Amino acid sequence: MQTRNVLVVGVGGQGVLLASNVLAAACLARGYDVKKSEVKGMAQRGGAVVSFVRYGERVHSPLVERGRADLVLSLEWAEALRWAAYLRPGGVLAVDLVRILPPAAQLDHRTWQASYPAVEVERLRQAGWDVRPYEASRCAAELGDGRMANVVLLGAVSRELEFTVEEWEQALREVVPEQVVEANLRAFHAGRELPLASVSPGDVRRPAARTFRVEVTASWCKGRSCGICVRVCPEEVLAFGPDDRATAASPDRCTGCQLCQLLCPDFAVVVREEVAVG
Amino acid sequence: MIPDVRGYLRENRMPHILCPGCGHGIVLGALLRAVHALGIPQDRLAVVAGIGCSSRLAGYVDACTLHTTHGRALAFAAGLKLARPELVVIVLTGDGDGLSIGGNHLIHAARRNVDLTCILFNNAVYGMTGGQVAPTTQPGWVASTAPYGHPEPAFDGCALVQGAGGTFVARSMAYDPRGLQAILTEALEHRGFSYVEVLTDCPVYFGRYNRLGEGPELLWSQKARFGEVGQMLRDKRFVTPDGTAPAGRVEGLRFGILHRAERPEFTHVCWSQVRRGGDP
Ligand code: SF4
Ligand code: SF4
Ligand code: SF4
Repeated sequence: MQTRNVLVVGVGGQGVLLASNVLAAACLARGYDVKKSEVKGMAQRGGAVVSFVRYGERVHSPLVERGRADLVLSLEWAEALRWAAYLRPGGVLAVDLVRILPPAAQLDHRTWQASYPAVEVERLRQAGWDVRPYEASRCAAELGDGRMANVVLLGAVSRELEFTVEEWEQALREVVPEQVVEANLRAFHAGRELPLASVSPGDVRRPAARTFRVEVTASWCKGRSCGICVRVCPEEVLAFGPDDRATAASPDRCTGCQLCQLLCPDFAVVVREEVAVG
Repeated sequence: MIPDVRGYLRENRMPHILCPGCGHGIVLGALLRAVHALGIPQDRLAVVAGIGCSSRLAGYVDACTLHTTHGRALAFAAGLKLARPELVVIVLTGDGDGLSIGGNHLIHAARRNVDLTCILFNNAVYGMTGGQVAPTTQPGWVASTAPYGHPEPAFDGCALVQGAGGTFVARSMAYDPRGLQAILTEALEHRGFSYVEVLTDCPVYFGRYNRLGEGPELLWSQKARFGEVGQMLRDKRFVTPDGTAPAGRVEGLRFGILHRAERPEFTHVCWSQVRRGGDP
């Protein structure tokens, strides 16, 4: 058999490595040779994670070249765009439609809405790939734990791969921590039943904006000789006003981290989320 | 989102009298969030304090509060808890108040295992009286009464309380308000004597005498002074130009929940005796 090339991609915390470990365990259960390699350095900061899995009679190298992958399993929309070029013509792109904003895109709330790529499945199809969008995160959340989206998506693509249900179940039991095996088996089977998400050609989705309001009670603020909130704010939202008290000088940049509120010794700062009306 | 806990303050008394950049208010914020998360009603919450900057905080909490004499907060609090066991009693004390003037009350409250939560604000100086050395001032640190550097070794309050029999002993710092809140939550839930020592800072005396900067610099430097050096070096905001640890670094202080034990609780034992004897 020809060696099969798979990429499992996503962002830190989504369980990319777990999903690729399950796949590798299924390969071993079937008696294939399998090699795996991953890049996960950015995982802790919510950055990109990629895991290469190659399997077949005899595999010599773990890396997949651009344009040679049979399957890209993406746990996030923007990551699917990042890695789609690794697919061979006609390769399968299975993607969870969840959208996770990278920290860099949150730096400026005014523009990040536009800077996150829109979900435009048709354009990828035009590039010659077999695109399979799924609402895996939504399905996992309905099952009670959104973190199982990785296993739901694995279940969805398992229908395309040569392994038997028993091999998948054995792989899951090996890889997943004991106390969550049953929940993950349920997620896997829910994934096997999961229909393709309906994304119409004109369906361009953007993430919802969150806006925050920083309020400083000037009469409680001890001003420039304190300055803790002004110094701690990672977005430089706060500055000293003409009265030397802290004030939200660039309120649009606030990301709602609330460090200012946590560290103001004078209870002068409160950050609230603004709920959009209408 | 973390909640706005200003409902627990006597807002008509704010702003509080503490100096700009003083770390104590951060600790009070973490405490109020822990109280809020546990849903303790204000009329069931008693805050007892002694004398000193940190002890002034009790007066700003909208609950049952008691501002007592120097070092004696724990004694008042033990009496209150004995008479009104249904109250959640929190003691706010400083390192001078709790470890020198009130040192005896501290060890005996720990020995008796009275169900109190004692929060000791350790800023290594007597702030209110002008920056004199406290029992927690580390050797070499400068204070108004130690202009050439303190010649004495310092107390480790957590080791002291554990040795005296306290059943919940923890240490945290103002730099880590979320971790502090988690520890305070557990301390409040613990039945028995809980001691939480919080490293906070006095920019006006400690920071100025030791040339460690003002409120923000002092706060960022806590991790470097008390925490892991490796972590400090990654935290680019506070390194000396040659990349070494800053002055005043303290070795060997342990953080987190350091000790937890089960022992008969004093109030419970006393009330059982009273009930056995008939008339209270
Ligand atoms: S931290 Fe609080 S008191 Fe200090 S400058 Fe900011 S608002 Fe004012
Ligand atoms: S919550 Fe506060 S610290 Fe965080 S970005 Fe907004 S203003 Fe800055
Ligand atoms: S003297 Fe020091 S400890 Fe006291 S309020 Fe001022 S800064 Fe805080």
